[in-house]
Parts: sequence; C-alpha cells; structure tokens
Amino acid sequence: MSDTLLEIDRLSVDYETARGDLKALRDISFDIRKGEIVGIVGESGCGKSTLISSILRLTAPNTRFRKGEVRFKGQDLLQLPEHKMRDLRGADISIVFQDPMQTHNPVLSIGQQMLDIQHRSQAGKVEKRARAAQMLGAVGIPDPEARLEQFPHEFSGGMRQRIAIAMALMSEPDLLIADEPTTALDATLEVQIIERLQELQQELDCAILFISHHLGVIAELCDRVVVMYTGAVVESGDVREIFHDPKHPYTRRLIDCDPGHIKERARVLPTIPGEVPDLANLPGGCIFRDRCDQAVPRCASEVPPLSKLKEGHHAACWLNHEEVHQ
Amino acid sequence: MSKSRSELGQILHGVSRDPLGLMGLIIVGTILFCAIFAAWIVPYDPVGMNIKDRLQGPSAAHLLGTDQLGRDTFSRVIMGGQVALKVALPAVFGAMAIGLTLGMIAGYGPKWLDNLLMLFFDTIRSFPTVMFALAVVALIGPSLQTVVFVVMATSIPTYGRVARTQTLTLRNSEFILAERAMGASMKRILGVHMLPNIIGVLAVLAAMDIPTVIALEAGLSFLGLGVKPPTPSWGALLKDGYSLIRQTPWLVVGGGLPIILATLGFTFLGESLRDVVDPKLRKQR
Repeated sequence: MSDTLLEIDRLSVDYETARGDLKALRDISFDIRKGEIVGIVGESGCGKSTLISSILRLTAPNTRFRKGEVRFKGQDLLQLPEHKMRDLRGADISIVFQDPMQTHNPVLSIGQQMLDIQHRSQAGKVEKRARAAQMLGAVGIPDPEARLEQFPHEFSGGMRQRIAIAMALMSEPDLLIADEPTTALDATLEVQIIERLQELQQELDCAILFISHHLGVIAELCDRVVVMYTGAVVESGDVREIFHDPKHPYTRRLIDCDPGHIKERARVLPTIPGEVPDLANLPGGCIFRDRCDQAVPRCASEVPPLSKLKEGHHAACWLNHEEVHQ
Repeated sequence: MSKSRSELGQILHGVSRDPLGLMGLIIVGTILFCAIFAAWIVPYDPVGMNIKDRLQGPSAAHLLGTDQLGRDTFSRVIMGGQVALKVALPAVFGAMAIGLTLGMIAGYGPKWLDNLLMLFFDTIRSFPTVMFALAVVALIGPSLQTVVFVVMATSIPTYGRVARTQTLTLRNSEFILAERAMGASMKRILGVHMLPNIIGVLAVLAAMDIPTVIALEAGLSFLGLGVKPPTPSWGALLKDGYSLIRQTPWLVVGGGLPIILATLGFTFLGESLRDVVDPKLRKQR
C-alpha cells in the first residue's frame, strides 16, 4: 500500500457538550491514494467539517478523539506533536475554504500575504514575489505582477477563490483539502474553478479531498466518492459505481433529490422525509432507519457494517446482505 | 523601508484630502513645529522675570502680555506646548504599546491568563485618575515624569481592552483559521496577521487620546499636582490666570486657547485617520 497517501482508519470523534457527548464521527474509514481526487458528499451536519478539522488537527477545544487513526504517509497525525503537525499544514496538506470573501486578511495586500505564506522557503524576496506572480498567473488572474499590490476587497469572489487556490498550491502539497470551494460562488464561476482545479491537479499531481453537497460537481471532478450521513460513512466507491448503481437507500435518495437528475418539470422539488437523528442520543441500529422506506426489522436492532460489495464499492446497509432477502 | 514611507505618504495624502483632516494636520503640525523649535521661537526667556512690566496687555513687545511676575505669556505658551507634548506623546505611545501587548496576549492566550489580565485592567480602571494622581504625587512628588507615569498607567486598560476585543474577534475569523491551516505559528499570526488589523484602531484611539492627556496634564498642573512652578505649562498658565482674572484676561486666553486648539486638531486628525487607515474605506473615498 505504498501509494496510499491518507488513510482514515475507524476514526470516532465526539464533542463534549453540556447535553452529553455529541457523536460527531463514528467509525469513519476511507483512504486517498496519491494523485487521486476523492469527493465527500453529505447534507449539512453530517460531519464533513469535523472530518477536515480532525485531519488538520484544528479542532475546537471540546473535541475528543475517541478511537481510530488518521495516517498520512504512514504516520498517525493524531499522535504527532503540535510543532510537527504545524510543519505539515500548508506544506504537505493545504486547504481551500468555503467562503472566499473571508479567507484573506483584509488589511494586507495579496502580495504581502502570498509572500508571507512562503515563510518556510529560504528564497529571497524577489524570488518569492516572482513565485507568487507565477502562481496567480497559473490560476488565471490577468496581469499578476500588478495585482499583487491590490487588497482582497479589490477582487471579485471568484478571483479571491482562485487566489486562495493559488496560495494553497504554492507549496506543491501532496494533499489539497477543498472544503466546498464553489458553494459560495455562482454556477458559471463554479465551472471555471472546477476546470482550473482539474488542470492544476494534473500539473502538480496532488491528491484532492473535495467536499461538496453538489453531486454534479462530484461526478464531474472526482475519481471516488464517500457518502456520509450523520457522522458515518454509508457508502463509498468509484464515482461511476455510486452514481449508476447506488447500494444504500440514502445515496439513492440523495441522487433523486439532485435537481440535475430530475427529468420532468415538478412544482415541488423532491426531498428526503424525516429529520436527522440527535447525535447526543443516537437510536440503536441503522441511523437512517427512520427516514428509510425499505427498512426491515434487522435495521432496528443492529448497526449495519460498511461491507465490501465488490472491488471498490462499500456500503453499510442490511439490504445488501443475502440473509435479509431470504 | 521605502515601502513604509510611501504608505505613510499615502495616509497623509488621504488625510489632507479631507477638509477636517487637513485642518487637524495643520493645527497638529503647527503645535509640533512650535514645540520642537520652541527655543528659537520664544522672544523672551519663559522663566525670566521682569517685575516692572507685570500684568501687561498685548503689545508689539509682548504679543500676549505678561503675567504677575512680568514673564512673557507668549513665550510661556510656546514652551508650555513643548511640556504638553513631552507628557502626552510618551504617555500615550507607552500606554498604547503596553496595552496592545497585554491585550493581544489576553485575547489570544489561555482563558486563565485572559481572566488575570482583565482583573488587572479592571483594578486599574477602578481608580479615579485624579485620585490616583494625588496618591502618586503624595508618594513621589510632582514632576513631569510623575504625570507621564500616572497618565500611562491609567490609560493602559483602555488600549488593552480594545486590543483584546479586536484579537478575540479576529481569532475566530476565517482568515486566521486559514492561516493556522496553512501552518502559521502563533508568533506569525499575532505579528503579521493580527497586528496590522489592530494597530489602525489603536492609532486612531491614540490620536483622540492625546488631547485628553494634554487636558489632564493641564488639569493636574492647575491643581498644582503637575509640573513644578517655574516650568511653563498650559495648565499652570490657566491656574495663574484664574486667580488674576480681574487684573488681566490674557493669561486665561493664553492658557486656554492652545488647549482648545490642540484638542480640536488631534481629534480631527484622529477621525480622519480612522477613515483613511481602513483599506475598505480607502477605495470609496
């Protein structure tokens, strides 16, 4: 398994609150290979953000890692001392955040920020400036030399997100985490950003962990996809497999609800009925049971394991087990 | 360093385009000029007595007349400006530097340190400035340094609290999280990313604080707790003028006018600075 870059192994994370422990992540397992694009889909509150902050170890103070490992190039990040972790951030693992309007320091020019982010480099100021301009050019900012002098508020949202991508890729990381990078942008810009990411990914050969709730973008960009529901992985596998032959009812419903998949005109968009269960007080058995229209008695008593259906396709549903159908 | 100079030039240019800012700049510039070159401007020795010419009105020889000891009021006003700035500038910038450091530590550091520093700030704030000054003067005697110390000590909490609030707001902002995610150390986050966001606010606060300090120095001198008698100070001029108001009004004018002008000038400058240092506002102007 030498080509595995990031391996998340049975990771469980709780938030300690006054109401008791919030089980934000339960038994998450998946991996990312070198140069691969993996997508994570799931509705709000499914633990996507907790997962990212756990990988970067930038968690809130009330976070407790209960179980599991996050292995990056073989070493467990959760055991790493803080200064070693800091050396990884922005060098080997980079991140692009959701809201481009908030991710830049408002009082420093883009050039100052792009120079500062190269603080690990031994290069001189002139070289760093040249590198910054080159990266801005690579993400498609016209006249990069002059624009280094400008402040964040002088750029549009799409440009700011491209600058954020340029800054994240400046150190040529092995893994780029993209946390819903296009959610705050409109549809035309989304396509531009996705195309730019794809080009740069091929050029730099870095792996991308792409978080989104836009299935169309995931289908377009990713090699593999992980579907999450309330802090657990319900299905994972190759993008084609998941989209053409979903094996978990939640994934099926999610695809049905995607506006891009609806063929007929409808007055009301389809939704998944029911509510997300309370994470502090989880019911036993399958967590999707209450919203599932195919639930069987076994779903109430036992948590379905994430089991391998075929090479590159895992799902956590009792319906895929032979004995249920007998 | 040429970079920071051009930035200062930009700020000055921005201030001078605003009519109130320009006025503030002119007044503050004049006061600074007079204070720096006081020794060459004064026509007479500000402490030299001439009993023969006491309590005179304005004339060609004495622009603002003379006091009860025959000292030239104009010379004393100019010298008084120097004294006022000698108190105000070190006190304000000292308080700003200490308050900024402590405030950022309180805002970014662990909770117990924050509580400790806030307790310290609140303790100082609970002393009324004038009472505190009385106590310190009784302890170490009236002098320029005493006034600087009292003013600095009492205004540290103001800067500290503003810096702390700014730091607290910033530490949870997304761009600071982004910096942390990109591997910036605490030193880098505080020094490179937070400081420029906070310093503008504090600089404006400092510019607005200078007139308060000048007035406080005048007040302490008026009460006889400030600089020692022969040294000219605007407050001391007012004090003398107050007791001699029936003989001549010119001492009160000489002591009061510069205080009013300095207050206005620094306030205008501070308000104009506030608009200019914020890069988001800069473009709209």
